[in-house]
Amino acid sequence: MSDSRSPAVPGPSGSPLLDVDRITVRFGGLVAVSDLDLDVPEGTIVSLIGPNGAGKTTAFNCVSGIYAPSGGSVRFRGKRLERALTPGTILKALAVGLLTGLLFAAAAVDVDRMWMAVVKRGMITGEPFTLAGAVERLRGYFRSELAIDQMAGKWRVVSSDGADVLAIKRDLAEARLVRDALQAKVTARRIDPGTVPDPTDLGPSDEPQAAGVTLPPVKEEVLDRLAAGKSRIRFRGWSGLALGLILGTAGTLAVWQRGRRSPHVVARAGISRTFQNIRLFSNMSVLENVLVGLDRTIPGGVLAMLLRTPANVRGEAAARKKALEALGFVGLAGDANRIAGQLPYGDQRRLEIARALATGARLILLDEPAAGMNPSETADLASLIERIRDSGVTVLLIEHHMNVVMRVSDRVAVLDHGTKIAEGTPAEVRRDEKVIEAYLGGGE
Amino acid sequence: MAAPPPSAAPLPPRPAGVGGWLASRWELVALVLLAAAPLCIPALGGALGGQVTTLFIYCILALALNVMVGYTGLVHLGIASFFGIGAYCLAILTVPMYPFRIGFLPAAVVAVLVTAGTGLALGAPTLRLRGDYLAIVTLGFGEVAKVTLRNLEQITGGMKGLNPVPPPGAGVTVAGLDLGKAFAIDPRWFYYLSLLSLAGVVLAMRRLETSRLGRALVAVREDELAAQAMGISATRVKLSAFAMSSAVAGLAGCLYAASLSTTADPNAYDFNRSIMVLCAVILGGLGSIPGTILGVAILVGFDTVLAPWADSWIQQMNINPSGSSALSFSGWRLAIFGLALVFVMRYRPEGLIPSRRLAAELHEEGP
Repeated sequence: MSDSRSPAVPGPSGSPLLDVDRITVRFGGLVAVSDLDLDVPEGTIVSLIGPNGAGKTTAFNCVSGIYAPSGGSVRFRGKRLERALTPGTILKALAVGLLTGLLFAAAAVDVDRMWMAVVKRGMITGEPFTLAGAVERLRGYFRSELAIDQMAGKWRVVSSDGADVLAIKRDLAEARLVRDALQAKVTARRIDPGTVPDPTDLGPSDEPQAAGVTLPPVKEEVLDRLAAGKSRIRFRGWSGLALGLILGTAGTLAVWQRGRRSPHVVARAGISRTFQNIRLFSNMSVLENVLVGLDRTIPGGVLAMLLRTPANVRGEAAARKKALEALGFVGLAGDANRIAGQLPYGDQRRLEIARALATGARLILLDEPAAGMNPSETADLASLIERIRDSGVTVLLIEHHMNVVMRVSDRVAVLDHGTKIAEGTPAEVRRDEKVIEAYLGGGE
Repeated sequence: MAAPPPSAAPLPPRPAGVGGWLASRWELVALVLLAAAPLCIPALGGALGGQVTTLFIYCILALALNVMVGYTGLVHLGIASFFGIGAYCLAILTVPMYPFRIGFLPAAVVAVLVTAGTGLALGAPTLRLRGDYLAIVTLGFGEVAKVTLRNLEQITGGMKGLNPVPPPGAGVTVAGLDLGKAFAIDPRWFYYLSLLSLAGVVLAMRRLETSRLGRALVAVREDELAAQAMGISATRVKLSAFAMSSAVAGLAGCLYAASLSTTADPNAYDFNRSIMVLCAVILGGLGSIPGTILGVAILVGFDTVLAPWADSWIQQMNINPSGSSALSFSGWRLAIFGLALVFVMRYRPEGLIPSRRLAAELHEEGP
């Protein structure tokens, strides 16, 4: 219902607004639509007719992105209606993957012990908490370095994860010396983990830092385990990160791929529709139903809505105005505050049209809009459809009421058992023998 | 438009869905009464004040759940885990045991952001699930979160929880008044803090209801496919619901931990609490703000205020000298609770104060 929409100029123009190119839809073994070709030129009303079960609604569902066709393509204004694979999409997937990876890595390196090593140990030795100190301890954890913590008033030299206690000292300075000496041993072992441990390595005199302190006896297995700790924890961290990165990225891309041609993408590109069995938001008011159609015209995210920024308030007001206009256009202006589900049947159909028009669509798909209407309502509907066309919106129509179809359509396509059996002006189609046969049954 | 509308649309007298700017009249009256209550009722300066504060916090939690269950129609059985994550976040950032000690307000902001992020992380992979399946996922998440909180002993203190969580404004002195001390001594400070938060959340919910996102939430609940065909990204809308709901639950968790000055043990954030809050939302009326608050007032109020009061009354009157559990009120507590729920659901399935939208859904009137 935007004012910018210029009255359509029906006539020959380059490519058609909607170009359905040989689409086929299969459900298991059943072919619902086969090789359907359909062009909808801008500014026209094209009808799709056929007996029940001919595949008309299936074709609609393909166009509006509810089904993905098994073959063929649907082009709107020359473009396939799919979300493009942009660098942004890939970046987003990578970001999700990275987060998943970090989560996996945190679990793999035992985030609980890491926390103890990084946050709690800094507190224990009484140093003020600084970022640099925390980073240093974090690196120490990933290098699996020996650390000092406190228990019952004594200082303990412990492995980085706190699982092994190597020495207990009264004096902090002494504990530090022991830690350094033991660390030197562990590091020495790390340099060539393949070598068989030599008992002479244990001699305290070998370690220059150990002068003056007596090193506690540490079992060989413990030293080996400590020496291997670094590569173990790194392996865990990296493999967790890699696994999470792959899973997260692949999962995000898979979800993206499945939602690539979702109905909202199609709707945003400018195709809107109504449904054969009315699908209003029946517990919302009539006005709100139309406002849902205008959703995208209102600027602002969650915060803007909660803070009621001026732009958001203006957007809401403008949307209300447009919604009332759209309701006026279909003749429901007086019913704006009624609950949609309580409207009479015919009005519900018209509300659905108003809602679809409100999205600002260039092409509107009407699925049996006259179903269940009485003759006078049907006549009103036909003139409404013509007014829609005159306002610049192209119409693709499925209808069983032949008087509506013959009156409003510029072109008619006839489907039977999923195949198009005829196409032409209403007058041509009316005379077509195949069409008569399809409707009345073959006279063999 | 080529054809002008038949008649200029008259502006409707009661703009549906676009409510007042601030709040409905009843909500304002309730707010003023509650704000004045501590001045008139001295008992609110005692244990009762603490109990009412807990009620307010549960109201916030229930309103958070209402975003998911009421507006968006996504069954969520793990809201308590977000409550818990909020509480633990606040505690980690404020307890003296850890070096961060950044104070209540910044910590609450971080906690709310973290819970919103956790909600997104739970929502993103489960968006395609509906109804029962999503319920199972959220139920599972709740249990996982609880067990995780219990098992990360170095971080969360395991079953001991983290304490003491300092009161808001600890160490801040305003006009010669030590705020931290004031909060610790007089429960009315917490009463006002949670009332203020509740008012803020109610206002936010009101605005959400009448905003574009609120309509989109309801549209997705009513008919996801139709909403998508109108250009609404169901993914985005549901993720927003997840994030908002989790964030508000996280806020409730912050207030809870601060008012108890401990996170309590992780079992405080288990399935029972989620169900209790869900019952309150359903009892009060799905998608209805006053209904949700009333539901909490009845269910949680019954549990935390009425039951202890009735017990102490029975003791005072010496009705039950032998201490038999059959004669104590708490012994019957759950039976009364269950019966009340059964009767309400039988005779008023839309809840005590139904939302306009859902009342119509449950009592279908022919067109």
